[in-house]
Amino acid sequence: MINGWELVIGIEIHAQVKSNSKLFSSSSTDFGSGPNSQVSLVDAAMPGMLPVINKFCVEQAVRSGIGLNAKINNKSIFDRKNYFYQDLPQGYQISQFKDPIVGNGFIDIVLDDQTKRIGIERLHLEQDAGKSLHDQDPNLTFVDLNRSGIALMEIVSKPDMSSADEAVEYVKKVRSILRYLDTCDGNMEQGSLRADVNVSVNKPGNELGTRCEIKNLNSFKYIHSAIIYEAKRQIKLIESGESINQETRLYNIDTGETHSMRSKEDAHDYRYFPDPDLLPLEIENKWIEEIKSTIPELPDQKKNRFIKDYNLNEYDAGVIVSDKATSDYYEKVVKNRSPKLVTTWVTSELFSVLNKKNLSIDESPVAYDKLGELIDNIESGKVSNRLAKDIFEEMCEMGKSPGEIIAEKGLSQISDEGELEKLVNDVLIANPKNVEKYKNGKDKLFGFFVGEAMKLSKGKANPKLLNELLKSKLNT
Amino acid sequence: MEFDKDSLLKLGKLSKIKIDDDKLSSLSADLGSILKFIDRLQSIETDNVDPTSNSLDQSLVMRDDIALDENSATEILENAPDKELDFFSVPKVIE
Repeated sequence: MINGWELVIGIEIHAQVKSNSKLFSSSSTDFGSGPNSQVSLVDAAMPGMLPVINKFCVEQAVRSGIGLNAKINNKSIFDRKNYFYQDLPQGYQISQFKDPIVGNGFIDIVLDDQTKRIGIERLHLEQDAGKSLHDQDPNLTFVDLNRSGIALMEIVSKPDMSSADEAVEYVKKVRSILRYLDTCDGNMEQGSLRADVNVSVNKPGNELGTRCEIKNLNSFKYIHSAIIYEAKRQIKLIESGESINQETRLYNIDTGETHSMRSKEDAHDYRYFPDPDLLPLEIENKWIEEIKSTIPELPDQKKNRFIKDYNLNEYDAGVIVSDKATSDYYEKVVKNRSPKLVTTWVTSELFSVLNKKNLSIDESPVAYDKLGELIDNIESGKVSNRLAKDIFEEMCEMGKSPGEIIAEKGLSQISDEGELEKLVNDVLIANPKNVEKYKNGKDKLFGFFVGEAMKLSKGKANPKLLNELLKSKLNT
Repeated sequence: MEFDKDSLLKLGKLSKIKIDDDKLSSLSADLGSILKFIDRLQSIETDNVDPTSNSLDQSLVMRDDIALDENSATEILENAPDKELDFFSVPKVIE
């Protein structure tokens, strides 16, 4: 709700299928190769070329459909979506219109501990277009067809979301599921996953407003701010007595505003019709079952297992399982160790370093076995939590193992009673006035003594033993 | 029967084809006669026929996911009217 207005949001996600070759040709899909180096005669739409479908892409679409709890259609049809554009050499995109490969499904998202079910309308297979570069020459547009013909899965949600936060959660969840299934790499910066967002506003109880579509959002941040901007724009228009034009809009990442791309009167009339070059795609139940049997544990299942096995709270479990690599790392560290300690170290210390350095968990400067070794040292009481943080910092910078650092710096915790007793005596002798005050009832000073003794030990004193010793000395 | 001129102009616009005024009538007549022929199909009784997307009673043949290095950029660009570096180049397109 914004100022008493309800938001209605539906999202189309374009997810690039993780395959070696394109949907209807054998050209490579590698990212970042020289312009037009991965273009076959089919992709360039040379006369007489015929499309032949990639079986693996079909399988990936079915896998994704299963992951989205959706109905897999035994028969689907490829249509031509006709429009004229310089990066579309065929003059049409091969897509699926009336009969998509995947039908109705759903996913659950969690926001503020509330679970909400978001409907999936469909998933269909289609070709990506080429890429236009407008900024290389003042008078020309350059076209690179490497992306032309790469398989995309278009995943269409029902208009079930009612806030920008829900929309972002939805896209995050779909991305996470596709990455678990390994059907899309989910790399938003490279454009492997992008979202078109439909937004409309209405007063509670009133009928739905006119919607606008914001195209091609490729980060969670942009999705969020584009929705907020667009909703406010619509509300302002309606409140000042104007009406909303149904139109396609673009989000400007520099200004944070959306602006009109084309209005409905000018909208494309795609003249869909079944592609005569392609027969109906038939998928037998036997194949669907085979694919089903290879589906890995998905984020929701894993989350429930983590909550049960490792006693994690809903939030921590959600954070850890949202990325498969993170959950794998976590499981390796937590094996035979205290889940509580491991969770804290992974979600606060490790995550903060990764965020700071902008690294993924696969690029973590601290391997799982090294973090495990550090946690072992904490559990055995060899180092305090505070010291462990210093050691961890050093591990991140120098790539050394905790054992090496502890040995090098003599950081091992002092648990020797004689040594500790000497420390405590030194502190008490150095602070006779405070000792007197304490003995006269100023209990709060206890912390001061602990602090002084810690300082003297350079942070190495075993806190538990130190506390006990101080207490017994001061109370006699 | 004539194909109405507004639809014809719209079709031209969608296809980025410029239609000269003096061609409008003859094109309308041509397209009209094609539509008239197709109209005859409407008279066929299809109530008990499933929607057909292809007249062959077969399903799609699939290929394995193997990437082949078939063409170089030079070959692909050989027929391009204009090229710059290894790109196709076209008049500036601004949306």
